[in-house]
Amino acid sequence: MLTYVVRRVLLLFPTLFVVAVIVFALAHAAPGSPFDPNPDRPLPPQTVERLNRYYGVDRPLYEQFAMYMGNLVRLDLGRSLVQDRTVAQIIGQQFPVSAQLGLQALFLALAIALPLGVISALRQNSAIDHGGILLATLGTTVPSFVVAIFAIYLFGLNLGLVPLVGWGTPKHMILPTAILALGATAFLTRITRASMLEAIRQDYVRTARSKGLSEQTIVVWHVLRNAMIPVATIIGPATAALVTGSFIIEWFFAIPGIGREFVLSINRRDYPLIMGVYLLYALIIAVANLVVDIVYGLIDPRIRVSK
Amino acid sequence: MLTRALALLVAIALVTAACDTQTGPGPVAPTAAAEGGQPDPNGELITNMGSEPDTIDPHRASFVGEIAVIMSVFEGLMTLDPKTLKAVPAAAAKDPVVSADSKTWTFTLRDGLKFSDGTPLTARDFERGFLRTCDPATLGDYSFVLYIIEGCEDWNLMDPRKATAAELAAARGRTGVKALDEKTIEFKLREPAAYFGSIAYMWVGMPVKAESLEKGGEQWTEPATYIGNGPFKLVEWRHNQEMVFERNELYWRGVPKLKRWTRVMYNEGAVAFAAYRANDLDVIGVAAEDLRVVESDPELKAQASDVSGSCTFYVGFNASKPPFDDVKVRQAFARSFDRVSYVNDVQKLGTPANGGFIPPGIPGHDPNDEEQKFDPAAAKGLLAASTYAGQQVLQNMRFTYSSNARTKTRVEFLQQQWKTNLGIEVVPDPIDSTAYAQLVKSPETLPLMFILGWCADYPHPQNWLTTVFHSGSLSRTGWTNPEFDQLTRQADQDPDEAKALETYQKASRILSREAPVAWLYYDAGKRLTKPWVGGITTTPIDATFGQFRLWEIYVTKKG
Repeated sequence: MLTYVVRRVLLLFPTLFVVAVIVFALAHAAPGSPFDPNPDRPLPPQTVERLNRYYGVDRPLYEQFAMYMGNLVRLDLGRSLVQDRTVAQIIGQQFPVSAQLGLQALFLALAIALPLGVISALRQNSAIDHGGILLATLGTTVPSFVVAIFAIYLFGLNLGLVPLVGWGTPKHMILPTAILALGATAFLTRITRASMLEAIRQDYVRTARSKGLSEQTIVVWHVLRNAMIPVATIIGPATAALVTGSFIIEWFFAIPGIGREFVLSINRRDYPLIMGVYLLYALIIAVANLVVDIVYGLIDPRIRVSK
Repeated sequence: MLTRALALLVAIALVTAACDTQTGPGPVAPTAAAEGGQPDPNGELITNMGSEPDTIDPHRASFVGEIAVIMSVFEGLMTLDPKTLKAVPAAAAKDPVVSADSKTWTFTLRDGLKFSDGTPLTARDFERGFLRTCDPATLGDYSFVLYIIEGCEDWNLMDPRKATAAELAAARGRTGVKALDEKTIEFKLREPAAYFGSIAYMWVGMPVKAESLEKGGEQWTEPATYIGNGPFKLVEWRHNQEMVFERNELYWRGVPKLKRWTRVMYNEGAVAFAAYRANDLDVIGVAAEDLRVVESDPELKAQASDVSGSCTFYVGFNASKPPFDDVKVRQAFARSFDRVSYVNDVQKLGTPANGGFIPPGIPGHDPNDEEQKFDPAAAKGLLAASTYAGQQVLQNMRFTYSSNARTKTRVEFLQQQWKTNLGIEVVPDPIDSTAYAQLVKSPETLPLMFILGWCADYPHPQNWLTTVFHSGSLSRTGWTNPEFDQLTRQADQDPDEAKALETYQKASRILSREAPVAWLYYDAGKRLTKPWVGGITTTPIDATFGQFRLWEIYVTKKG
């Protein structure tokens, strides 16, 4: 088990390297310059040249990449090309906000989705099951920016229950957390319900029933435990997706998170920031997958990793 | 992965939309008075600055949102009179003394000036500021504005990592900015420039404390070291969230009326509008999308005021490529779309550009310029008389633009007009905004047809005609004209203001007649102000509302 974990952790490095190569190549392949983004406010060519030269953006790409990797090894993510902050500062100030929002949304989603999915499956075609399906469909199909603007108008403006936008107090967090959780809730409810239904129909459940076990014991020990395997698989990537920041939610609620920064950095060709945020995302996703793989083994002896 | 890609698309659409609402600052309205009530001595104003500024370093900044912050915290040697937009003394005690050859400008400071931390402000702090803009190590976007100062360009274009310290120091020494004593600063210009007084109001010339730079280093723009001499001081900056300003009790004109001014960063226009309606924001600019709501709500309508802008938008024709190398084709295109219906039906907020390049309110505006007057019959005649009449090259020309919903409707309107009035079909060609910025920058990649705008840095015709269309400057239309070049040069150096204006007007008419670009509209906006806010004096070139009278803005008790 330990050797497996060590091997997987060591594998992270080549993975991140490949991600770095691809992102670097793609970011630089897009035309445009970080220094002169506004067609209506052109800078004199000498100014742009000077900035390119200073930041080394005029060097051959392989040289720039080598420089970047050299700094990265020394844990130096570089300076943003357009903001007066270093990439490490930007990530340090804004990632925690996204992570907090994402984790809150994840816990909320799990708290709703797991019971709802289980009950829906146990009481198939009941009112609660149909309600669950409705919620799942809505959560999947209605885009979050529609929900966001609707919720801001309804709860913030018309009812005045919560602050419209912003970040800081718990009250500010209610709407964005709930809306961010909506999609994940829908998804997790569907997965839980489906895998419960599948598990219920398995032979070992029939065997358990025929042994005369109580319904409660059957559900908890035989159904739930097996039904949770696909759910656990999904929770890993879902966590990664949530904590890396939702651009849309952060944008609408004016939340100082990293998701907004990520999208803007691409739009503005802020190469060091693009690289920094991408590598952070890659790292989070890789770690999340690793954790899931380890947890797998714990809940399902058939996929013990050490083999 | 799919969701990320989608999010990105939406993002780009939103970003462009929100930025559009940010452009077009400024208005001309009389000083607005709040309804009833005395200014609250503890008054607090909350407004929206849209997004996090990239930098608020006066010697590096270039965007409206950044300049709004700088202008609240710093004050230059000169400022602008909100009525005439002429340069008037601010930190300087009186108008500068200009030598007979117009090349040496000497400013004397007021007595007893202080930074907001109580330390004395001297001519050396201004010298440091101007020099810092010219310094290649500062990496300022706007340093070119000071290239008119002797030696500034040479120094600024050096490579600070290749040149030796001695070479850099020598170049610094050759730069024509010099504090003669604690109260006098002298500028040597490389050629006469009647507009230098207007430049002296700009952010590039703000004073800076040596101690701020030493203590703060690259982070000196954080509140602890971001110390200025303007009406407000920055007390808190929560990145991507808000900036909090408090009045500078030591401001030489007297204590500003507002105690506190919070500027939040709500990117999304619809959200800012909702926040205004919930009384979370005191003043906002109205986006074109929200105009109908404002018009139909009596309460909002009463709070709305018109704001004229400082930008002109135009369609460009690449004059170095057929068919636009024929002036008749350019004129035909320029005269065959209806600017009035464009503004009414498409732009909603704005003024039809009937009157040349310089917009209303900026010195040099020429309301009688009819060179590009809408006249479909004349346009058809011009086209028929051109060398390309009836040729294939006129059909299916690509009209390239920065891809966003708003520009798309603009382009489609023009496409329709040319089809109806000239019988010519153009093909819209949307591309990513950053890539578009790259294309329109160099003559080799300039699209056949494109759409651009220009906004004033300082209210002087030089900043329009010479800066944008003189062959030695930014001109990106493939068009050059010796007479235009000669006239603008002559006017730039003419110390006689009235005569210079006349010369500029001649040049401006040539530009309209030659039509390398067709004027589309002048930007304008609407602002909503809560009844408890007063004392706002607006000008077309405000980066923040009330920019030239910030200390007069007040709030009464909120109702």
